[in-house]
Amino acid sequence: MNNEQTAWERVANMLRARSLWMLYYCTGCGAIELPPTMTARFDMERFGIGPMATPRQADILLVTGYLSTKTLRRVIYSYEQMQAPKYIVGFGSCTINGGIYYDSYATINRLDLYVPVDLYLAGCMPRPEAIVNGFKNLMDKIDQGEATGWKDYEANYEWYRKNQIDALGEVYIHDEFHE
Amino acid sequence: MIITILSAIALLILAFAYTVTLEGIARKIEARIHRRCGPPFWQNFIDIFKSLTKHSISHGFIFDFGVLMALGGTIATVLFIPAGNLVVFPGLDNVFVIIYLLAIGLLGMAMSAVGSGNPNASIGIGRALTQMLGYELPFMIVLLGVFFHFRTSSLSELAVLQNSGGTYNVLIMPIGAVVGFVSLMGMLGKKPFDTFIAPAEIASGPLVEYSGKYLGLLMTQHAFGTFIEIGLFVNLFLGGGKTIWEFLLKFFLVYFLAVIISSIMPRFRVEQAVKFYWKWPLILSFIQVVIVVFIMGRRV
Amino acid sequence: MSSMNDKLNEIMLMAGQFTFSEITKRQFSVNIKSSGLLSVLGLFRQKGFTHLSLITGIDRLNDEKFEVVYTLFCWESGETILVSTLVDRKTPVLPTIMEMWPVARFYERDVHEFFGIVFDGNPDLKPLILENWSEIPPMRKDFDPHKYSKEHFPDRKYNADFLPEGGGEDE
Repeated sequence: MNNEQTAWERVANMLRARSLWMLYYCTGCGAIELPPTMTARFDMERFGIGPMATPRQADILLVTGYLSTKTLRRVIYSYEQMQAPKYIVGFGSCTINGGIYYDSYATINRLDLYVPVDLYLAGCMPRPEAIVNGFKNLMDKIDQGEATGWKDYEANYEWYRKNQIDALGEVYIHDEFHE
Repeated sequence: MIITILSAIALLILAFAYTVTLEGIARKIEARIHRRCGPPFWQNFIDIFKSLTKHSISHGFIFDFGVLMALGGTIATVLFIPAGNLVVFPGLDNVFVIIYLLAIGLLGMAMSAVGSGNPNASIGIGRALTQMLGYELPFMIVLLGVFFHFRTSSLSELAVLQNSGGTYNVLIMPIGAVVGFVSLMGMLGKKPFDTFIAPAEIASGPLVEYSGKYLGLLMTQHAFGTFIEIGLFVNLFLGGGKTIWEFLLKFFLVYFLAVIISSIMPRFRVEQAVKFYWKWPLILSFIQVVIVVFIMGRRV
Repeated sequence: MSSMNDKLNEIMLMAGQFTFSEITKRQFSVNIKSSGLLSVLGLFRQKGFTHLSLITGIDRLNDEKFEVVYTLFCWESGETILVSTLVDRKTPVLPTIMEMWPVARFYERDVHEFFGIVFDGNPDLKPLILENWSEIPPMRKDFDPHKYSKEHFPDRKYNADFLPEGGGEDE
């Protein structure tokens, strides 16, 4: 999907690739590999990737590990709160094909039916070297203009919505304390 | 008239470029203290320009207007800081003018943060204003001592008097300079006084609902605010600078000191910060004023 | 150990016979009938086992019974007791122990959601962990999670050219 980019888009993509802000939404056990990647040994900040606490300002949503249905509702809320252009990185084999929880009644098996994924990192868990390699691939993809998951989401919204409702029933979060 | 406009534009461009570069260098220094490589020193430029290319979402009129008020007030305040021999409004740069105009910046951000409706933003702004109560008091008392000694409260005149007299204020009023530096760290929002941003605790505090272009404008405002505060300290206590290069060098030294102190410290809670400011810095500032008024007298 | 024996002898005198075994040092297990549940738990509480650690359930499909296990802990002596009782699988009803331990409210909610055991007297038996669940309680042994997962969460279809001879894609 190599589309031509105008000069403005090329500059913008170059800026976006070199300053990625991650929303550390640590859904599953994969989050344990993030602190080694961030700290002094496999320093992630030298690529410009930094932590960001709120979805409004983040560029990447890291889905680290298995997603139960309860968490998937909240991930969809967070993803729709992020501002375009935004990317999703699927971490670990649970997002690819269900991983070791493939026969569980509570976890989903395939992440890109519900949200558009730009990059998968295989492994259970991928090591920090693999994570850094994966982010380098993502940065190259953004430079080429191929990381267009957010445009897919807007274009095929009905298909994603149908899959979400099939798996979840409803994407509305009930507030137990106030009901 | 043309000279004023040209020098204003030059000062703004200088403030923006120099402060953002210094912020990038500060990240590099902090990374080296943590024994890792850091990002390249132009990283903050990329951050600001990337934020300006993202889509953004608005929360109403107060939200938009507050951001513009914050940025506008801060830009207006930058024009009053003398930078070496680049003085945009000679004769008009009183310290009290700067302090009043600084408040516009903070209040603009407070207004728009509360207008966004997120309770995290309200908590962050409450903490920021409480902390301001803390650091303003010792700072003001030391400033009164400085004004008493020099018989003037104009920033450019203070800089000229220090340079012509030969000694900087940091040597004749060392206690006051230390108190001023501690207040400066509170003003800048560096650790240990960065509880109002508190990234992991209240999701960036006041900045929680800003996306895209608003965030780019607010990061610019933060850079200008840093320039104002450190410029104030350099002009008051380190003599400003005969040329602009001297000013920039002193700016870098003060910022470097603040960065290396803040990179190894954790964070105070807001009531601990206020208690700290109203204990030793306040006592030291009173001692300094007593020394200035009764022992040093006015400058002859 | 002698203190444990003394305590047990007193309780046995008051509650009738029950089976008792020692799992390891300072961990014991007791089997009682469900009719005497409240009185035995109350007696254990008076004897020093004031901390309720867990309530959990086991599905004994062959015996057509549910086994509910209460884990009690004594802070002075560091001993743990597992008190287990059997209820009928068709209509599982147990009295609640909320008056003795208020935290039992959430454990009983959990066991009710995953096994279907009704606790009489607990006013708050809403689901605790699952949302929008419309099948049988999932920890029962006659619930097939693999089938549920296949129906609700579609898999990724691979072109299975990496599997050896005789293998095939798992349906």
